[in-house]
Amino acid sequence: MRGMRFRFCLAAIALPCAVAIAAQGQDPISNAPAHSIVKRADVEYLYPEQVTLPAGKASKLALHFRVKQGLHINSHTPRENFLIPTTFSVPEDSGVRLESVDFPPGADFALPFDPSEMLSVYTGEFAIDARIVPAAGDHLVQAKLHYQACTNNTCFPPKTITVPIDMVGK
Amino acid sequence: MKRNTLVLGAVLLILATFAWAGWANFEYRKQAAEKLAAANVSGELVMDNSSGMPKMVSPLNGKPAPVFTLEDLSGKKVSLTSYKGKAVLINFWATWCAPCRIETPWIIELRNQYAGQGFEVLGVSTDDLDSDNVKTLSSEKKEIAAFVAKMHMPYPILLAGDQLDHPYGGLDVLPESFFVDRTGKVVAVQFGLTSKDDIEGNIRKALAD
Repeated sequence: MRGMRFRFCLAAIALPCAVAIAAQGQDPISNAPAHSIVKRADVEYLYPEQVTLPAGKASKLALHFRVKQGLHINSHTPRENFLIPTTFSVPEDSGVRLESVDFPPGADFALPFDPSEMLSVYTGEFAIDARIVPAAGDHLVQAKLHYQACTNNTCFPPKTITVPIDMVGK
Repeated sequence: MKRNTLVLGAVLLILATFAWAGWANFEYRKQAAEKLAAANVSGELVMDNSSGMPKMVSPLNGKPAPVFTLEDLSGKKVSLTSYKGKAVLINFWATWCAPCRIETPWIIELRNQYAGQGFEVLGVSTDDLDSDNVKTLSSEKKEIAAFVAKMHMPYPILLAGDQLDHPYGGLDVLPESFFVDRTGKVVAVQFGLTSKDDIEGNIRKALAD
């Protein structure tokens, strides 16, 4: 009798514990049917990650990027004014001032569907020359590259990527 | 003895409460996950067995087209539901999209060819619209209107901004076209620029009984 009561008590305690642990252990998000979302990494910032520049003086800094294979982005000076150009900017409160940016010339490119229409684009690796004036000190600058990418038959919405550079003004 | 029973009862009550709380939390997280999944209807990249190449497919294929009401360039409200009984091509484009400019003349020709059979096109601009700035918004609308005039688009042009991104699968690529039959069901989805023949084939699908 005593043994039965003990087993009953044990079961009465163990059962709700087991239910609670099982419910907490279930992850409804990962158990839900997976949607494979098409991820884009159209343009990647390559280097430099860290630079030391003279404080208070304008210095030229080459920033290197890579456009994903199979894609092209409009150059800084696309041939038609309805196309979105590639631009570069630095936030005002970053501790550095962007004096000017020199973009490389775009390469000629025609879509297979319309060979008569020539575009000016960047593909593969390209570099821009930014003239930067840093204040004295260490600044983690979150610069921005804004661009619009296409393949031969599709276009993706304009995008802005962060270009993180640790700039030390000495 | 009586005290033992009371203590045991209290312990069981507490454990039962924990069990209920755990189960309720699971149900809540399950509903949240289902809501999230429903809101993120996205295009998927799958392998096309016939060509051996990856292609985009839409989870909206075979489902009712999500309804919407948008303004046209004159500010008039246009609803998808008012086109029930007609086959409709909902064509998403933007002024900065070069492939969109290539397919638009094809769409215009096909629209004129099949209009008599109960077919219409709704051209939906996904250009950014700065609703907070009246001056900028006006300038943006003028640019879209200039594009429409240059392309001689004869069908309703609706301004969506990013309003239809979620219900229509993210609209991650342009141009993107949804072919809707007379009952309001999506019968085909086209991602990117393909060919005039492809577009015509999908129009016929939408018109088929």
